Amino acid sequence: MKSEFNWKRALGVAAVWLAVFAGWEAAYRIFEWKPYVFPAPSHVVDAVLGLVGFKTYFGDALAGPDGPWPFHGQGLTLEGSLWKCQLLTALGVSLLRLAIGFAASIVLGLSIGLLMFRFKFVDALLGPVFLGLQTLPSVCWVPLAVLAIGINESGILFVTVMGSFFAFAITLRDGLRTTPPIYRSAGLVFGAHGLRFYTQVMLPAGLPALAGALRSGFSFAWRSLMGGELIFVLKQHGVGHLLATGREYGDVAQVVASMLIMVAIGMAADRLVFAPVERRVRARFGLG
Amino acid sequence: MISFLQKIGRKNSADAAPLSRGRLELRDISRRYPGSDKPAMTGINLTIEPGEFVVVVGPSGCGKSTLLSLVAGLARPDSGQILLDGKPVTKPGPDRAMVFQEHGLFPWLTVADNVAFGLKQAGVGKKERREAAQKALELVHLGKEAGMFIHQLSGGMRQRVSIARCLVMDPAVLLMDEPFAALDAQNRTLLHEQMQELYVETRKTVLFVTHSVGEAVRLADRIIVMHANPGRVRRDIRVNLPHPRNFDTAEVAAVMAQVRHEIDEEVNAHHGRTANAKTEGATYEI
Repeated sequence: MKSEFNWKRALGVAAVWLAVFAGWEAAYRIFEWKPYVFPAPSHVVDAVLGLVGFKTYFGDALAGPDGPWPFHGQGLTLEGSLWKCQLLTALGVSLLRLAIGFAASIVLGLSIGLLMFRFKFVDALLGPVFLGLQTLPSVCWVPLAVLAIGINESGILFVTVMGSFFAFAITLRDGLRTTPPIYRSAGLVFGAHGLRFYTQVMLPAGLPALAGALRSGFSFAWRSLMGGELIFVLKQHGVGHLLATGREYGDVAQVVASMLIMVAIGMAADRLVFAPVERRVRARFGLG
Repeated sequence: MISFLQKIGRKNSADAAPLSRGRLELRDISRRYPGSDKPAMTGINLTIEPGEFVVVVGPSGCGKSTLLSLVAGLARPDSGQILLDGKPVTKPGPDRAMVFQEHGLFPWLTVADNVAFGLKQAGVGKKERREAAQKALELVHLGKEAGMFIHQLSGGMRQRVSIARCLVMDPAVLLMDEPFAALDAQNRTLLHEQMQELYVETRKTVLFVTHSVGEAVRLADRIIVMHANPGRVRRDIRVNLPHPRNFDTAEVAAVMAQVRHEIDEEVNAHHGRTANAKTEGATYEI
């Protein structure tokens, strides 16, 4: 049932995008657009490589007074160590924050999601509130975090957790509600009881719901963290700070480069981890 | 039954005489619809002898599936009592193993682990339950499918696994809730034949629910006809045909026609019409 990767179509898609970028770059150079308003693809390449520690001049004129394009005669040179470059340092900081925030969000979301599923009163009490708070954009938690907690790591953690655990709890509850009650009946008829009933029947029966909740929870946590980092300025710089720094220095190429990096990480986590896990679980459950 | 028990290697009940267990008594069972005063079923009295194959037929809403849930212990009657071998039924348990209409097999376990699930809960060791599961699977002709997952099986195979999962528990009563309703005609006939085979071999008490008269006549020693609003027992018909049955004989056809006639009579009487209505001979399913 595994679908074959369609190379022909992928090549076609790549070719069209390549043409779009080439046209954009050409228009940029022909009409001499201003690089501080909106960057050409070449400027973004320079910015990304700059964040990794390579100094390049793809965005400069093909023939200029400083020497040949794109290295100005210096070749591809690394400034400092690759491991200590801005991008990897920022990634390390952000991913550590994400790991802590997402873990806290899972613990909270799992407990409250389960309570809402199990007890009607808890659901009546918290369900509408969570549904409402889930729609609140995560950056809207920043002012409260700044005032109540302060500009520190705890503040960022607060924003990450608040921005993601409501969605996690709601997705989990809704997923568990669609779990067929027959697994419960079958478990009871065949003698499962006590803790074993939960670990060997209810928990595995809820796996599709859990996989879905993890996937949506992660995407909310990542977005919240980036929003938090964009506004909080801390000693440890995350990926969100690269975006903020780009804005402060008027470096529009770095702004776009940082956005690209955020998208790349969000997509990679979803495509490589969460979506395949969810797909496998759903296939096993015959949910297609 | 003895041969099956020896095959799966459970000595403790192998020396028990066959037909000594599996006597089911329903005494004056009533139940209302959840959250309302409307009675779903009233005054159900039924005694099933060990080794009897009893099929309950009736239209949807007559409470026949609810009746099975009550016997399984998944629901409680509002009044009345259910006794299995003299002991009151209070909660679910594998002595009343059940084949569900939507199979209810666990998709996260292999076929073999599904069949062995009940034994695992009962604390049976790994090696022993593996062997027992394999034997039970061979009994339903699925010995080679032990390592597969449920989503890889056809509907008919799933119900056979479901039956194996019950047999391995050596239940006093086998409960079957419209187990073949979702299958195509060919698969259903195949499973009717296998069900006969298994019944002859194990002689378990079976309580089987269906809405198909044809299915009832093929399988039953006794057919209980129920009516709806509120659900109650209207007829208790004996089918005096030997097992295993050849479904294509004139004898079976004659019994089927007769049972249909009796049911039609009952239906018509229920609706205040005369008994000699034109439904005779039609393929009428209630």
